[in-house]
Amino acid sequence: MAPPARYCVPGERLCSTEEATAGSGTYTRHGFIFSSLAGCLERKKEDNEVEVYKSFRPSDIVLAKVISLGDAQSNYLLSTAENELGVVVARSEAGVQMVPISWCEMQCPRTHTKEFRKVARVQPQFLQT
Amino acid sequence: MPLDHRRLRGPEESQPPTLWAATAAEDDEEEGAGAAPRDPCALRPLFARAGLLSQAQGSAYVELGSGTKVLCAAWGPREAAEPGPGRLLCEFRRAPFAGRGARGRPGAAAEREAEREAAAALREALEPAVRLGRYPRARLAVSALLLQDGGSALAAAVSAAALALADAGVEMYDLAVGCALSRPPAPAASWMLQPAEPEERRAAARLTLALLPALNQVSAVLGGGRGGPPEDWAQALRLGLDGCHRQYPVLRQSLLRAAQRRDAAAAATTAASATSA
Repeated sequence: MAPPARYCVPGERLCSTEEATAGSGTYTRHGFIFSSLAGCLERKKEDNEVEVYKSFRPSDIVLAKVISLGDAQSNYLLSTAENELGVVVARSEAGVQMVPISWCEMQCPRTHTKEFRKVARVQPQFLQT
Repeated sequence: MPLDHRRLRGPEESQPPTLWAATAAEDDEEEGAGAAPRDPCALRPLFARAGLLSQAQGSAYVELGSGTKVLCAAWGPREAAEPGPGRLLCEFRRAPFAGRGARGRPGAAAEREAEREAAAALREALEPAVRLGRYPRARLAVSALLLQDGGSALAAAVSAAALALADAGVEMYDLAVGCALSRPPAPAASWMLQPAEPEERRAAARLTLALLPALNQVSAVLGGGRGGPPEDWAQALRLGLDGCHRQYPVLRQSLLRAAQRRDAAAAATTAASATSA
């Protein structure tokens, strides 16, 4: 089904900076990308650029992961760069709670307008039914 | 006398175990008295396994053929109050049963001093390998426990600590591999890789190297003694680096296997929760 997963260890040279850009868990040195973590290598083919307005809006409820405790300004750094992270609850411009229809769109049940959000695929163990 | 049912009573006749252990002591004496010298470049068999403790975020166990066994656990990152880049806290402990023969007074200052020195050496060897810049204001803790000392204990501890940190998911530039060397007191003796405990005790000079193999950078050179001319020390360094490079594939394989086991376990638990939910 899926191709066999490639595992790597810290310090393993993955590829050159021309073939890909360094994502999370990697570092670049001498024009090559090295792995920083031990685990499964994931190659993301989609566009690296993220438009924030298409991902979140003010007063969205978001599930994010703390990736760093921040610098001297004591700001926490959060990340939503996984399938399980992103917008959980959002209200449309009409003020009604929207229903997710794909990983990047949500629809308002009253006006049927679609809005772009980065929707979280919440794991079933966290859903209360 | 009334029978005490809570105790397990041993056999009526018993003999001291040292009757059978006497042969091992004689072997040591024969080795020291000039038996055939072993190949100085021979590496002892190395066993490494990562991801075995459930209480710690990352763990590793390294065992050398000479009998050295080190268990290491790593935690991190935890929030710390002091500003600046992340800090690596290392701890090295010898189990009370680690050495052969009787210990000096347990808990003596000399023992604690040696443990503190070893912890500082561990920190020196591991700090260049960990990406501390990615964990500002955080504290990473590494604790190494020496279960049995068969020589080259610090080198094994360095390898185990690096494996444990990588297993804990801490971002690192590379794995740190440790290798120990020693030189016997004979006048024209050559350096040997990974000395056993009696060789290390009688050595005139000892050296422990820590190398980052993929980046080919040495992170720590520890030790000293009465050696020969400087070329001998350079030769020893080269021998030690070669030893580190040869050990690296085993450590890398153990880390890959641990990552695969962890992923398989995570997939199994999500599958189980999906079917039950």
